[in-house]
Amino acid sequence: MNKMEKALAELGTMDELSARKSSIHSLHAGAKLLVTVAYIVIVMSFHKYDLSGLIPMLLWPVLLFQISGIPVRTCFYKLRIVLPLVMAVGLFNPFFDREIILRVGSLSVSGGVISMLTLMLKGVLCLMASFLLVATTPFDRICAALRAVHFPKTLVTLLLLTYRYVGVLTRELAVMTEAYHLRAPGQKGIHISAWGSFLGQLLLRSMDRAQEIYAAMLLRGYDREFRYAAERRFAMKDVAYTLIGVSLFLLLRFVNVSGLLGSLFVR
Amino acid sequence: MHMADALLAPAVAGAMYVASGTAAGVSLHRLKKEDEPQKLPLMAVSAALVFAGQMINYTIPGTGSSGHMCGGMLLSALLGPEAGFLSMIVILAIQCLFFADGGLMALGANIWNMAFYGCFVGYYLIWRPIIRGKWFGDGKGALRGRIIAASILGCVLTLQLGAFSVVLETSLSGITELPFGGFVALMQPIHLAIGLVEGLITSAVLCFVFETRPELIKDVKEADASLTARTSLGTTLAVLAAVTLLVGGGLSLLASSNPDGLEWALFGNEEEGYGANMGLDEEEFGVASDVADKAGSIQEKTSFLPDYAFPGSEDPAGTSVSGIVGAAIVAGAAVVICLIGGFFRKKKTKTA
Amino acid sequence: MIEFKKVSFAYETGKEVIRDLSFTIRGGEAVGLIGANGAGKSTVMKLLLGLLFGEGEIISAGLRLDKANLPLIRRKTGFILQDSDDQMFMPTVYDDMMFAPLNYGMTKEEAERRVDEVLERLELQALKHSYNHKLSGGEKKMAAIATILAMEPETILMDEPTAALDPYNRRLIIRRINGLSQTKLIASHDLDMILDTCERVILLSEGRIAADGKAEEVLRDKALLEANHLELPLSLSRR
Repeated sequence: MNKMEKALAELGTMDELSARKSSIHSLHAGAKLLVTVAYIVIVMSFHKYDLSGLIPMLLWPVLLFQISGIPVRTCFYKLRIVLPLVMAVGLFNPFFDREIILRVGSLSVSGGVISMLTLMLKGVLCLMASFLLVATTPFDRICAALRAVHFPKTLVTLLLLTYRYVGVLTRELAVMTEAYHLRAPGQKGIHISAWGSFLGQLLLRSMDRAQEIYAAMLLRGYDREFRYAAERRFAMKDVAYTLIGVSLFLLLRFVNVSGLLGSLFVR
Repeated sequence: MHMADALLAPAVAGAMYVASGTAAGVSLHRLKKEDEPQKLPLMAVSAALVFAGQMINYTIPGTGSSGHMCGGMLLSALLGPEAGFLSMIVILAIQCLFFADGGLMALGANIWNMAFYGCFVGYYLIWRPIIRGKWFGDGKGALRGRIIAASILGCVLTLQLGAFSVVLETSLSGITELPFGGFVALMQPIHLAIGLVEGLITSAVLCFVFETRPELIKDVKEADASLTARTSLGTTLAVLAAVTLLVGGGLSLLASSNPDGLEWALFGNEEEGYGANMGLDEEEFGVASDVADKAGSIQEKTSFLPDYAFPGSEDPAGTSVSGIVGAAIVAGAAVVICLIGGFFRKKKTKTA
Repeated sequence: MIEFKKVSFAYETGKEVIRDLSFTIRGGEAVGLIGANGAGKSTVMKLLLGLLFGEGEIISAGLRLDKANLPLIRRKTGFILQDSDDQMFMPTVYDDMMFAPLNYGMTKEEAERRVDEVLERLELQALKHSYNHKLSGGEKKMAAIATILAMEPETILMDEPTAALDPYNRRLIIRRINGLSQTKLIASHDLDMILDTCERVILLSEGRIAADGKAEEVLRDKALLEANHLELPLSLSRR
């Protein structure tokens, strides 16, 4: 499988997950978007040493994974992109920040270690949150929700159209790459003599395709206004979901639940 | 160069959203004056093309590695800066949502670092002045020369700017302990190489288009028609000066700021890892930001939203033995939730 | 009703593609448009839809084709493109089918009812919420036809409707085409399909009409077909 085919498979998996049914899937896309944003912002705002305060935030995505039945495996597969980056940054902290801020018995832990762990946990939590949003909400409904909050029309339309043609063009490039490598065995990438023409050919064809698409839009009544079936209205359960989510995050942000829970048992 | 959410403080992420949002607003406004409806499918298809095109491995002659294309310059040369910028936004949004490449809250920063510079700075400061300018004289060959020069200069400059912004944003967020100077010294040279490769790829694609359908490229018609055009020597010189400054600055920083010992070793190793990850080699050309992040330590002294727990203060991490015990309980609760979930699902499949 | 009255069209490069073309298609007729590559089939369709403008007079959906009538003509005319990926530009089949009805001012409920009706007629209910990029070639073509039928057009133009379909799906499409009561103009190289779906055939050659008559008769004229880079349909050559 070449890279494009992998990307297609990944895209296909997300579409498939979002088409499933669960009580999370059935929530309004706007509610999920709002809660996801709130979650990520609050996770980001935790102090770099506040590992124990951050840990309870884990409960929310865990709960959503369970209710929606989305496999965690698919999500962790995407960690390969997020983690190396976060880790590369975080791994420096133990070397530069050696002040001891925690002692457990004879074990002393430096600030750098804590901040590294916090950073990694933040990376995982943020990934899980945005993954859950996309895995439980079909993309056209996310777009409809964006439109409902008056996100610019042109941008939403562009998002919808691009999403549609990402699949088409990635497939074409996958086939072209396959064809190239069949005729150039042993080459790892595209040889410099074909740097321009390889993508250029597809680019020219795509420009013609754009005209056909425009014709197809015109012929079905396109008049500068992109209409598509909008999301249903906000229902009680959407309001409840949003309120519960946001107030829970705020609570966890300002009350160190780990510390409180622990103090029930220790001392 | 895709940044993750974890690497940014909310205030920095928010500020970058505002900056990118403003640029998007201006673009949308200007695009409305043009023939926007006809341009939409063109933008969508071009964006999809660049999205897929980023996955092509281009073999760099003489090395075992391969380069990649990011596409900002290519899109603005084909669609103009405004439409190019919006298309890049959409690409970054799709990468973020479906491939976890860059975080949802970091999207504003990613748009700024990768799309704003490539489209606006690259177009207005480099592309247009050079293409409409007088470099290499008149005629088709000269124009091709200008396309190549503009592509390479544009990609190098905009990647330098992008890399510097990554460092700046991470440092301001107070995420990493890496010294600012070291981070910059790490990022800029790597992105010099990446920019050069990207520039070469972009110029190859644009030259191909120029040979077959020149009318598709911005400013080429003007360059042809305007043999009487004002000399933009001044602009060109300004551009050159800017590029030299940036490149020179990056290189001198690298040369001067390398302390010995652990730090250097770390940087050295990391640099290799970075280069490998960041587009000089196969997979994940997006990984650049990690390294960038490291550099970012103006330290948490400047950190936004300082928290209640500081080093040295009492019970700094909010941690203590009770904190650990509590965390363990929370972890236990998570396991219980999973077990319950699993139990109900099994039941469901049985009854179904 | 469609009528061409001495229509000519040339591209900017000066190459004339349609020369002095005149023909009439009555309401409810099914007409095959055949000819070699570059004979002008696609151009005829684009002229009919006002995507290109030439000289002469065109009457489409009973209206004279001009800027003022264009929206109404397009509304009454459905065009099925050769590449369904170009035609289906929305993420899902449902979104695509809703597009035209919503654009033509229907409420969401009305449009939804119409979408369901069309899907039922074509036995495509299962595809309603499918993502377009996940459909197979045959499904995609059927869905493209569904998006056009959701407009309830009076006339349907088709460009190579059976291209790149397997025999089963080709058969299915033919059956569906025959189930449509609208005026139909079908451009194709698939002469067997034309024979199965059209009672009349117009053969174009270098922008002019080389033959216009009953499908059985035109498609039996071996010499004429071969002169136009075509072959006798299999079903006729066996006899």
